[in-house]
Amino acid sequence: MIRADVSRAEGFTPPGPGDFDLQPLFGDSYAFAKPGLQLILAGVLVFGFFAVTSRRAAMVPSKAQFAGEQAYGFVRNSIARDIIGSHDFMKFVPYLVSLFFFLLINNVFGLVPFIQFPSFAKASFAYGLAALTWILYNGVGVWKHGLFGYIKHQSVPPGVNGPILLLIVPLEFISNLLVRPVTLALRLFANMFAGHLLLVLFTLGGEYLLLEADQVLYKPVGVVALLLAIAISFLELLVQFLQAYVFTLLTAMYVQGALAEEH
Amino acid sequence: MAQHEIPTSRSADPWAAFGRLVAGVAIYGSVGWAGDRWLGTWFLLPVGIVFGAALGLWTTFAALRQQ
Repeated sequence: MIRADVSRAEGFTPPGPGDFDLQPLFGDSYAFAKPGLQLILAGVLVFGFFAVTSRRAAMVPSKAQFAGEQAYGFVRNSIARDIIGSHDFMKFVPYLVSLFFFLLINNVFGLVPFIQFPSFAKASFAYGLAALTWILYNGVGVWKHGLFGYIKHQSVPPGVNGPILLLIVPLEFISNLLVRPVTLALRLFANMFAGHLLLVLFTLGGEYLLLEADQVLYKPVGVVALLLAIAISFLELLVQFLQAYVFTLLTAMYVQGALAEEH
Repeated sequence: MAQHEIPTSRSADPWAAFGRLVAGVAIYGSVGWAGDRWLGTWFLLPVGIVFGAALGLWTTFAALRQQ
């Protein structure tokens, strides 16, 4: 009903989930489309950035080396060391640094001209990345506590004793081993998806109101919509950084939780 | 009160509360749903959901009190 009304009045098709189904690059298979290419590009960019900035490392750093070390130091100190603690953190720094910058670049692709699609607006990619984190923290936990020790570690919450444990144990187990990776992936995916949808709506809607609507009165509204699209782009920049940060931070927290000693 | 350990807790994760709530509702809601199917009743599903949410909250409080 609503759809019919809109098309009769305007001829404007509002954006929807269909806008995220991009054309396959080769043949008919949807397995490899633009977002897949973006993942590869982001990987190459992250590798290239750190390779170039660390290749000729000198005591007196060049500008590039300084930038690289700042970027590396940010994740190393303010995520890895602060969360995991100075005893164990170095082992996880390479993964956390790569993860953060891979995410950051993929998210910022949502605003880069001619790319303009955040790769993790495809849910499957977010689930894949969350699976990596899941494997990491569970692997670390099993390595540290042994399989049964780790299951006990993740199922018996601190501060709970007595027969109520029978009720709590399945709850805690599901919460730590199943809900965690799902929320991790969903948070990233939903933020990227919603942000992209919002930008598409404001730009296409503004363009339509400004150029194609018959009513003259609609034109200033179109200008406002386009201005808002620019404002939302800045908001999105913040969200893109924040989501990369939160994903990395939570990965570090899960690793720390798996490593923690028994109470 | 043997609290001589380092206070690095394993529940630093701020999303633990959310996870416990969701897990509690999911598990005890499913148990209630299964009970309804089995016994032909209707009230076990809502009871299970509320009970699971309460249990999730209680666990969160217990874990936080420990810190």
